[in-house]
Amino acid sequence: MRGEEGSDPFAEVNAPEFLARLVKGGAESQKAFGQLVRVTHDRFLAFVRRSLSSSDECQEVVQEMYLAVHKGLSKFEGKSKLTTWMYSLAHYKICDKLAEKDRAHQELTESNEAVLITGDYSDSFDPVTPWDASADHVLARSSVESLIVEAVKALPPLAREIYQLRDVDGLSGEDAAAVLEMPPVNVRVQLHRARKFIVRYVQEKMKDKSVQRGASRS
Amino acid sequence: MKDLFYVLYYPCDQIRDFAYDYLEGKLGLMTGLRFRQHLKGCPECQDYIRLYEMAADPKQFANENPIPPEFIDHTLKFLQEKGIVGEE
Repeated sequence: MRGEEGSDPFAEVNAPEFLARLVKGGAESQKAFGQLVRVTHDRFLAFVRRSLSSSDECQEVVQEMYLAVHKGLSKFEGKSKLTTWMYSLAHYKICDKLAEKDRAHQELTESNEAVLITGDYSDSFDPVTPWDASADHVLARSSVESLIVEAVKALPPLAREIYQLRDVDGLSGEDAAAVLEMPPVNVRVQLHRARKFIVRYVQEKMKDKSVQRGASRS
Repeated sequence: MKDLFYVLYYPCDQIRDFAYDYLEGKLGLMTGLRFRQHLKGCPECQDYIRLYEMAADPKQFANENPIPPEFIDHTLKFLQEKGIVGEE
């Protein structure tokens, strides 16, 4: 069983004295910001890459998030944890990127009509680079674990973000609600639905696999 | 008789809806007793709760594609160029 609050993996950078170093200015702030990046980078990149498929886009979003953190630090009042605020910024940057992609998709659809007429593919978009997964790594995962990871990718965007914030990154219900600007009770309901979806997804896939195994034996 | 049955023994659907509170440790005493009683005799719900627990466990993602170290180097270099992070 797990409690509502887990231990804070970012305790080091969420301490008030660390925030003081960040806003102090000069070389001390630069040093503290470097530390902030080293402590949080991989966690935020992992958070972003579950919503965006291209590694270049993920990198861009994370870099923009750090820029926004730097820009907004002087206005950050410390009412929430520093990393909770960073999750909010990452969330907005992901939404911006998805909206941009949506617009690009619409433009692409319109330009495809032109391409069909003119046959000119020179302005076509590059295909999205899939996130690199080494074969050894994929093989090392147990099948249920990899099905869960697969199911998370199939969740609707909001449910996926809630699931990530709560179950993957370990934010409390209140912090996740603050990041997404929704009542904690909605986070709870959506999280339960997301987990139910994942369980159903895994069960269905396992059933399919056992049916396939049965068919190959007969 | 059916009402009494449902008072004493929760149906599978309800047991599965209690999964969230069970993981949070928030089932009341009586509900918790009935919940565990149901699980004892229901292998389907045992499997369901086991999977639900796995879905709520961040360990599934511990081995997710690791992030290559050059990504953080790129970010640090980007921020150094902006003067946000100092040179090492």
